[in-house]
This record gives sequence, structure tokens and C-alpha cells, in this order.
Amino acid sequence: MEQFLNIFLGGLLIGGIYSLVSMGLSLQYGVAKVLNIAHGEFLMIGAFVTYWLQQSGVEPLLTVVIVGPTMFIIGFILYRTVFTSIRLRSAHPGIYESNSLLAAFGIYFIVMNIGILIWGTTPHSYTYLNQSISVGGALFTQNRIVAAAFAVVIGIAFYLFLTNTRTGKAIRAAAQDPATAGLMGVNIDFVLALCFGFGAAMAGVAGSLISICYSLSTAMGLGYTVIAIVVVTLGGLGSIPGSFIGGFILGVIGSAVSFWEPGLTVASYYVIFIVLLLVRPKGIMGR
Amino acid sequence: MLEINNISAFYGNIQILWDVSLKVNEGEIVALIGGNGAGKTTLVRAITGLLPIASGSIKFLEKEIDKLPPHIITELGISHIPEGRKLFTEMSVHENLEMGAYSKPAWKKKHETLERVFKIFPRLKEREKQLARTLSGGEQQMVAMGRGLMSIPKLCIIDEPSNGLAPMVVMEVFKIVQELRDQGITILLIEQNVRHTLEISDRAYVLENGRVVMEGDCATCLASEHIKKAYLGL
Ligand SMILES: Nc1ncnc2c1ncn2[C@@H]1O[C@H](COP(=O)(O)OP(=O)(O)O)[C@@H](O)[C@H]1O
Ligand SMILES: [Mg+2]
Repeated sequence: MEQFLNIFLGGLLIGGIYSLVSMGLSLQYGVAKVLNIAHGEFLMIGAFVTYWLQQSGVEPLLTVVIVGPTMFIIGFILYRTVFTSIRLRSAHPGIYESNSLLAAFGIYFIVMNIGILIWGTTPHSYTYLNQSISVGGALFTQNRIVAAAFAVVIGIAFYLFLTNTRTGKAIRAAAQDPATAGLMGVNIDFVLALCFGFGAAMAGVAGSLISICYSLSTAMGLGYTVIAIVVVTLGGLGSIPGSFIGGFILGVIGSAVSFWEPGLTVASYYVIFIVLLLVRPKGIMGR
Repeated sequence: MLEINNISAFYGNIQILWDVSLKVNEGEIVALIGGNGAGKTTLVRAITGLLPIASGSIKFLEKEIDKLPPHIITELGISHIPEGRKLFTEMSVHENLEMGAYSKPAWKKKHETLERVFKIFPRLKEREKQLARTLSGGEQQMVAMGRGLMSIPKLCIIDEPSNGLAPMVVMEVFKIVQELRDQGITILLIEQNVRHTLEISDRAYVLENGRVVMEGDCATCLASEHIKKAYLGL
């Protein structure tokens, strides 16, 4: 029982982070149609900025109010400059998607190398809220619980934003049919930039939350990008609730596999990914 | 109200519209008929700012609109109810209607407008919470028309509303078009269901291969040999 709780609740805790990262990619890939290979790099930057601020005495959880908005602005501007011009220059959506993937690759290398230049390649970490809490005998550090709770609150708040506000509804409409959303008077370039900005903000904040429980390295980004791609596929492309739930599912699966054989965790993600593409490419919540 | 003067339009370098002129006066139902591929939807896209025109001019309420972006044209009072309904299928009926009121001025009045739309389409009120994709074809057309009314338009351009609907439902759609006109909305009705369209319209334009080949009041069109042969199968 204790063992089961350890695996299951542990999976849910890391799953909360996966959910947040993946909702971000879902906005960028599902709505703005940029398969953002650099997604995890925004996470890495967020994690290191929090680390940096923590070292100079700032409360780590407070750093999300700096990291979130900053990443949002960077993501927004990046979309308005790079991806909007790719979109306007592409003869059809297929060309736009492949060209923006290439551009995202470029951003991936640039951002990762900036990270290496500043912070080097050795892992960094700090301690924060590291006392353990027992849940039915299974032990979890407070920082993991706080991080997951933050991720879930942000996820739910964003969902309420999407379902209850004029702008949120415009994002959902643009995700389904950008041309018709435009017909309704939605400024598509603006809305897609918003989505990209929100996606970057979620990656950055997820990085901040990761930094309070795990050690950091400038190479950490790509692994999270892969996880986010798997979760977005699992949840259904463009489905925000799908990514949210998918994150927890992948967290629990990963936790179970790594209990059995840690070396196979990442491999199991790829297996899930390939099986999904073969069996249910639309994902669990896809249409 | 709407004045199109000698416009031409292209997709890439293929010319689709040739020197098209068309006028819609306030309070009219004007029909635009023509077979598949005649260029009807292309003309609508030119009016609503989705496709730039190569020459000519489009005026709405005495104002040149042919260089304005779609959302401004919507705000000026032209609503486009697109061919194939184009609903947001994963959103509820209520949310689809709300999206019709997306422009800032319309959004402020969306509650009152919604009441008006529900008076015209009582069935939509019953279906308010349902996802648009779960509705029948006829109901979906009503959502599309309701959504088009949510922007509080002066002119409604309705592109093939009867397409793909059962005969009973088609009659209902035409009745609603008349009802809209009675409420003071001017209508440009694009249709391939020529007989019914000519019966409820005031004037008609016939578009063939991107050119207006005939225009006039509907009685004249109905009596024309060409219309009888080409469109009524007589
Ligand atoms: N997006 C497009 N790109 C290129 N050609 C198009 C496009 N849309 C329509 N056409 C062509 O333009 C012509 C007119 O189409 P359309 O305006 O849709 O006709 P209608 O609405 O009268 O059926 C057709 O020959 C069609 O093949
Ligand atoms: Mg058409």
C-alpha cells in the first residue's frame, strides 16, 4: 500500500508539472501551430532565473510573478516578430508549420547556448521546504506538494479564463477555425501571439516550480519538450483539458516505470507516443 | 446601401470575378444566383474583406470599404453567414452566438441581442448549452444565422443557407430570411435553390463564370427563358 501510494501520488505530483508544461505547448502547437522545440528552453530559463533570484534572497515561490509575465512578453514578441512573418509569407498552412518548426529549432539552440554561457553545464540546486510529509506512510517533501498545487491552480485558473472571458473564447474559437474566428472580428495574429506568450509563461513558471524541488541543468529543457509533445498527443492536439489530464496520466505512468526500472522511463514515453500515433492519433480528448 | 462597381478579383493569377456590379437597397432581399463555381462565394469574400479586389470599388452606406479589414467591415454593419455554416463545433450554441457578438460595440449589447435572436429561433434557446456539433443540419444553420445576427448587422449576406438541408427545413430557412427582412435587416441571399429564392426576393442577379449575365426584378427573372432552362429545369 505504502509502495503504491509512493508511486501513484508521486506520479500525480510530477504530473502536475507535466500538465502545466504541456498546456503551454498545447497553446503553441495546438492553437498557434508552432511545434515549439524550444519550449523546454523557456522552462530552463525560468528555472535558472528562480535559482538566481533565490540565491540573492528572494522567496522562490514569489519569483513566478516575475518569471511568468517576463516569459509572456518574450513569447508574445517572438511570435509577433518571427512566427507572424513566417505565417504571412507561407503559401499554405503546411509550409507555415514546417518553417516555424525550423525556426523553433534555431531558437532552441540559441536559448540553450545562452543558458550554458551564463550558468555553465554543471547541475545547480538549492534547498527549500524540504521537510517530508507522510501520506499513509508514503513520504513526500513539502516542496513537491507545493509545486504541484501551484501548477494545478494555474491550470484551473487558465481553464476558467478560456471558458469565461471574451479573449478566452476568442482563443478557443481560433483554435478550432481561425478563418471563421477572423470573420467574427477576432484579430487572429494578436490571439495567436497571446497563445504563444501564455505558452512561454507556463513553461517559465513550470521551470520555477521545478527548481524548488529538483536540481537544474542547462540541458534540462529538451526532456521536458519531449514530455510535453507526448502529453499533447495523449490529450488531443489543441485540447487544453486534454493536456491537463494527460500530464497526470504520464506522470503516473512514468512514476510506475521508474519504480520498476528507472532507465526505461524516457523510453516508455516514446513507446506511449508511438502506440498513440498508431492507435489513437487524436488522443484521449481529441475529436 | 451596398454598391459594388465593376470589381474584378483573382485567386493567385486566375481571374474569378470579371467586372461585377451589384446594388442592394435598404430593406430589400436581393438574390444572387448561379451554379457551382460561378464565383458567388468569391464575391462575398470580396465584400467582407477576406479577398482583396484587383479593380473597381465597393461602397457600404456611402463609405468605401474595399480596403478595410474584415473586422472593421463587420463593425460597420455587414454580417457574413458563411457557406457550410462554419460553426465552432466544440463550443456550445450559446458560445457560438456570443462569438458573433465579438466586436466591442456588439459585445456590450450581447444580452439584449441574444434575447432577440432567441425570439427568432426559439429552438436555439432549448439547445443553448449543447455543443454545436450535436445539432441537426437545420439547427446548425439556425445557429449560423443567429450568430450572424449577433453583430447587430444592417446587411446580412447569407451564403447558400439551404444547402444540404431536408426540404421541410429549407422552407423554414426561407421563412426566417423573410422574417429578418421584416425586422428591418437588408439581405443579400446567395442560393442555388433558384425557385424559392426568386419567390421571396425583390430583385436578382445571375452570376455565370464570374460575370453578371442578368439582373432585374424576380418576376422578370422567373419568366426568362434562360432562367427556366438553366436553373428551373423547365
Ligand atoms: N481558395 C481558392 N483558391 C483558388 N481558387 C478558388 C478558391 N476558392 C474558389 N476558387 C475557384 O473560384 C471559382 C469560384 O468559386 P466560388 O466563388 O466558391 O463559387 P460559388 O460560390 O459560386 O460556387 C471556382 O472555379 C473555384 O474553383
Ligand atoms: Mg459558394
